[in-house]
Amino acid sequence: MAELIVNATGIHKTYDTGKLKVQALKGVNLDVRSGEMVAIMGPSGCGKTTLLNCLSGLDEIDAGQVLIDGVLLHAMPDDERSDYRARRMGFVFQLYNLLPVLSAVENVELPLLVSGVSPSESHRRAVEMLDMMGLSDRARHLPAELSGGQRQRVTIARALVNEPSIIWADEPTGDLDSETAGEIIDLMCQLNQTNGQSFVLVTHSEEVGSRAHRIVRMRDGQIEDDGSLRDGSDGNQESGSLEDFSRIADEAAGE
Amino acid sequence: MEELFGLSMNWIMVGLLAILLPALAVIAVMGWRNPVMLKLGLRNIPRRKAQTALIIVGIMISTLIMAAAFGTGDTINFSIRAQAVDALGPIDEIVVFSRTTAQDSFGSNPYFPYSRYKELEAEFQALESIDGLAAGIGEEVPAVNMRNFKGEGRMRVAGVDPTSLEALGSIWSETGEEVGLVGFAPGEAFINQKAAEELDAQIGDSIRLVIAGDTQILTVKGVVARGGLAGDQPTVILPLDRAQDLFDRPGQVNSIVVSNLGDETSGAEFSDQVTMRLRAYFADTEVAGELSQLLSQPEALAAIETYGKDQGGDSGRDLSRLTELLRSVQVNEELLGLLADEDVAEEVVAALNREGLEEGARKADTLFSGLEEFRVIDIKKQVLEIADEAASQVTTIFIVLGLFSILVGVLLIFLIFVMLAAARRSEMGMARAVGATRRHLVQMFVFEGTSYAVVSAAVGVGVGLGVSAVIVLVANQLIQSFEEDLQFTHHFEPRSAVVAYCLGMVITLGTVAFSAYRVSRMNIVVAIRGLPEIVTAQEDSRLARRAFGVGRSLVRPIIFGSAGVRLAFRGRGSSALGNILLMFVWVIGFPIWIADVFAALVRLAWPYFLQGWLALLLGLLLTRVGTSSDQAAPFRIGISLAILGIGLMARLVLRRTSMRPESADRLAFTATGILLVAFWVLPFSSLRAVAGELDGGPEMFFISGVAMVAATVWTVMNNSDLLLRGLTAIFGKSGRLRPVVITAVAYPMSAKFRTGLTLAMFALVIFTLIVVSILTEAFGTSSENIDLATGNWDIESRVNSTTPIDDINGAIENSELLTPADFAAIGGFTTVPIEARQVGVKDGRWNFYAARAANDAFFDNTGHRLKLIADGYGPTDTDVWRALKEDPRLAVVDISVVPTRGGFDDNLVEFELEGLHYEDDTMSPIDIEVRDPLSGNIFPITVVGVLDVQTDNFGNMGLGMFTSKANLDDTLPFPVPITTYRFRVAEGVDVARVARELDVAFRENGLETEELRQVVEDQRAASRAFNNLFTGYMGMGLMVGIAALGVISLRAVVERRQQIGVLRAIGYRRRMIQLSFLLESSFIALLGIAIGVGLGTILSYNIVNDIRDNIETIRFKIPWIQIGVIVGIAYLFSLLTTFLPARQASRIYPAEALRYE
Repeated sequence: MAELIVNATGIHKTYDTGKLKVQALKGVNLDVRSGEMVAIMGPSGCGKTTLLNCLSGLDEIDAGQVLIDGVLLHAMPDDERSDYRARRMGFVFQLYNLLPVLSAVENVELPLLVSGVSPSESHRRAVEMLDMMGLSDRARHLPAELSGGQRQRVTIARALVNEPSIIWADEPTGDLDSETAGEIIDLMCQLNQTNGQSFVLVTHSEEVGSRAHRIVRMRDGQIEDDGSLRDGSDGNQESGSLEDFSRIADEAAGE
Repeated sequence: MEELFGLSMNWIMVGLLAILLPALAVIAVMGWRNPVMLKLGLRNIPRRKAQTALIIVGIMISTLIMAAAFGTGDTINFSIRAQAVDALGPIDEIVVFSRTTAQDSFGSNPYFPYSRYKELEAEFQALESIDGLAAGIGEEVPAVNMRNFKGEGRMRVAGVDPTSLEALGSIWSETGEEVGLVGFAPGEAFINQKAAEELDAQIGDSIRLVIAGDTQILTVKGVVARGGLAGDQPTVILPLDRAQDLFDRPGQVNSIVVSNLGDETSGAEFSDQVTMRLRAYFADTEVAGELSQLLSQPEALAAIETYGKDQGGDSGRDLSRLTELLRSVQVNEELLGLLADEDVAEEVVAALNREGLEEGARKADTLFSGLEEFRVIDIKKQVLEIADEAASQVTTIFIVLGLFSILVGVLLIFLIFVMLAAARRSEMGMARAVGATRRHLVQMFVFEGTSYAVVSAAVGVGVGLGVSAVIVLVANQLIQSFEEDLQFTHHFEPRSAVVAYCLGMVITLGTVAFSAYRVSRMNIVVAIRGLPEIVTAQEDSRLARRAFGVGRSLVRPIIFGSAGVRLAFRGRGSSALGNILLMFVWVIGFPIWIADVFAALVRLAWPYFLQGWLALLLGLLLTRVGTSSDQAAPFRIGISLAILGIGLMARLVLRRTSMRPESADRLAFTATGILLVAFWVLPFSSLRAVAGELDGGPEMFFISGVAMVAATVWTVMNNSDLLLRGLTAIFGKSGRLRPVVITAVAYPMSAKFRTGLTLAMFALVIFTLIVVSILTEAFGTSSENIDLATGNWDIESRVNSTTPIDDINGAIENSELLTPADFAAIGGFTTVPIEARQVGVKDGRWNFYAARAANDAFFDNTGHRLKLIADGYGPTDTDVWRALKEDPRLAVVDISVVPTRGGFDDNLVEFELEGLHYEDDTMSPIDIEVRDPLSGNIFPITVVGVLDVQTDNFGNMGLGMFTSKANLDDTLPFPVPITTYRFRVAEGVDVARVARELDVAFRENGLETEELRQVVEDQRAASRAFNNLFTGYMGMGLMVGIAALGVISLRAVVERRQQIGVLRAIGYRRRMIQLSFLLESSFIALLGIAIGVGLGTILSYNIVNDIRDNIETIRFKIPWIQIGVIVGIAYLFSLLTTFLPARQASRIYPAEALRYE
């Protein structure tokens, strides 16, 4: 059995707006194994995104602990945690969240530069990554000049470029039409299969969820069902090689 | 202050209110009809308090500048008026005898019998507008307090008629008790407070007066309050009969003072009436009859009429009335009054001369000078007018200096609204999508803008008042060093506050309306999707539609009116009322209507302008206007427009080639920008070579600054990507810094419009500060050579003209105090007012000037340098001075009467020579005529040289042409004494000691001494200090630039919240976020500073080079320390205002930032 990459126990998170206190997470326990693709699902406001933010260290937790690769994330000082994110994590957001003033390739370069990779090396790897995503001809374009699917693939390229061990994706297909969404999820599954990187996805879509190894269902700040680890050979999970991945990516680029 | 830019302040106020009140009424009606938009517009104000505060600070600057300028002007007006009223008390006019005799003396008014005054008094009893008359004696003599030997060279002795006290306000003690003029024992006199101060005198002290060589001792009976009959300058007051004895003028007086109806201030309102009546009375009817006959001849009438029309204004009115009266043939009181008016007399002679009626002009001139028995001087009215004039000039200077700041303020308002629109684009896009019209969006912004404007204009008036108080405080301290008696009391007229408030509001509302209109033109899809740059102006492309728009704007009130009627018939009361109200607003606030039509015309012409040909055509037209009127402003603006037009046309041509549109635009725009910059930085001499002499005033500084900065910023922003790449390459080498640099430069470069505006604001402010600093420094270097200013003299002494020193050398030799060997040279002269006119020029009008009639010793020893020497009188300065000594009909003039090329001519002296310029290398002798205003005697003079501009410290230590004293001795009916001495001390002698000794030795002559070097240094220190005051005032614009960066940073933090979350998610540390923001504003601030410093230095270099034609010693020198301080302050404060938003940005939790939409 693969090792735990995420080990969260007793996570509590309360938002205090001054007038109102909202208990977003009420003692959540969750484990994610290395190479696993986990989908977190549940109704709006159940705490999915909060859980993702708390697990990835984007947000503070009130109680409990999160171990990422055995490292106690919230005990790190902010700078160290930032560095850790730069080296070990990738993020994909529903609204792409690319920097609108930078071109696609510059957006992808950014995490590498932050991790201290030399400019020329960063550029080379970013171009390579975009090429893998089938976007080599769009590298110099600004995000506003790309379609939704293209933007999301740039986001994925940015998330993967520093070869993180875990990728956090918050509604990665939420803003896409079903066809493009399908292509994007294919791409993610492919990467998961090929590179063995772990994925934690927050999604509303049963279709997306069904492609994950496991679905964690949340309700009211708690995990209702942490799903059972499905075997890689059954279910809808596709297995594939790097060639398959490139093929899918090329198809997607044709949109 | 009564006038600004020649317009009455009352009318300015009415005009502004006519614009503002209707505009506010329209906004109120819009708010009432559209409460939802009102709410949407206003809700953001309390939500972002820091931003609101910065916006208010930025917007208030225009109001602040104007309020400060008005406050300073009002203070000057108020203070001069108050001093005039205090000094003159109830006295409104002074009447002096016009006929001089050999018994009269230089520096004193001619005497006339007291009995004549009594006749006049009886005659004037019937005049209702006069409430009191008094005859008296006024003389200036040297005085010494025998107790402490403190002296006063010009002690006024006033002999006051005790019978006139009641009507003329009496004499008052220091404590405010009426003391009158009774009970004087022999030899007793009052002194006024000023005299008591100067002599450090008290009751019982003996004061020695020197009168006509004799000594008279008076005992101080009491110290009385200054003003009115007791005089404002140091004065000894005694009953008239005692004064008559003192001056040996039994039964005679030398002046009459008149008090008009009303109090001390309102009396001046009757001045015109009283002056007219008195002049008419004093006019010799026989002479007036002759004059009237001479001037009634048709050619003379025609000449006067044409001249009057050309002159316009008050003199135009007077001349037109004069011709009417002359035509009616009858010599009445009004005609007499007009003929006796010296100004009218001058104009009439000038008019006749201009039309070639020289013989008539000469006759008229003689008749005019013999017309009046007495001269009436409307002294209070004149002083009050001077107060108004001075106030208006000072206000104008401050407004012109503040123009840059005002412009920067306007740019900021525009920027703020563009940014606010950018922030709310999705919201506005939604509003448009659900049916809000463009007009609704404009309204929303106008509501928000109006509320900012209402508050910030009020704050601006308040702060402006404070700034004017500071200016007055600083000015008082500066003036104290050379003019003790002049002190300003801070004062502000409510009318000025209203005008400043309205101007600020009108400027803000105008800018808000324009920006709101631009914002409303956005594309809905672009807005909703959050695509870049919101301002995507979609102009109506169809000519017919645009032309129709012009037509509609022309008849807008009718459209409103008819719509109102139509809606009323349909029963839509509130809409009908709104339209009717708008109709009235357009008519009453007609400037709004004019602006409406203008905007429609611009819309009509805009596409052709963008095609380039219209811009080229307009440019060529303006250039032609400039060359034909010799005006620099239209010429330079015209050439710039033409370059722009060619650039726009080139762009269209390039776009038709295979070139990519972006590349075509960049190439055309960059070339245009570079050409424009090159044109504006051209040395003035090269322009002169092409266009000839062009006149330009201080407005050229403003126009040049704006044009240079705009062209440079335009060029830079069109090539921002190159800059970006360069900067990233240079600063992004180190690993961690690279991502920070990338984001810091990418953001400002992606919002080019916003960055360009901020850059322009920063550059403009820095530009002005740099120019002012460099020019101040350059003028400082020009005056390092003090000998040029003093003419190598060390001491200047003035004696009282009634107690001259007959033989200065002999007196020094005989003095026990003085050592003749201390003196290397002694020269002397007398400054007298004269009238002069140039022979052979069209306008042969007599204008006031001054002559410094010097003795031979002065010509032998003076070191004054000459700029121009007439052919045949050189080659050295000494040759010219020798020629002046030998030929009393020669003179050397100073720069006050010589025009300069393209410079800012001062109008201190009315007389101006034609046919030469100060910058010329050679000159021919110029014949002029000089007239003594007292006797009317005329003598010819040939001007053979022009003094260096720095002589007497740029004229601050004395004005007037130098000529031989022999001239005056021949011309005036009484002997002319030397009143000014200049001494050069021997090598190694202590100047201060000699000056002190001279003071004591010649105390009885009323000699007062100044060390010239000290005077020059004091005056220069004061002028430097004033320059610093102006620099500080102009520096207020910097506040706007800094506020702009603050607003940008605050907005950036809000706008990029989500992106900050992303950056944090991908590993940016907190400090990297903060650094990125700081680098971003540093990038704008430093680039702006660099542009401002660069352009300011180039323009200053050009200006200094140009001035060098006039002032040879001026050197271009960069005041590094001052520039360093300016740059340092600008950068430091811009960092400080960005620091807080940057810190705020870095502290946001990534998750929180990502949640933000």
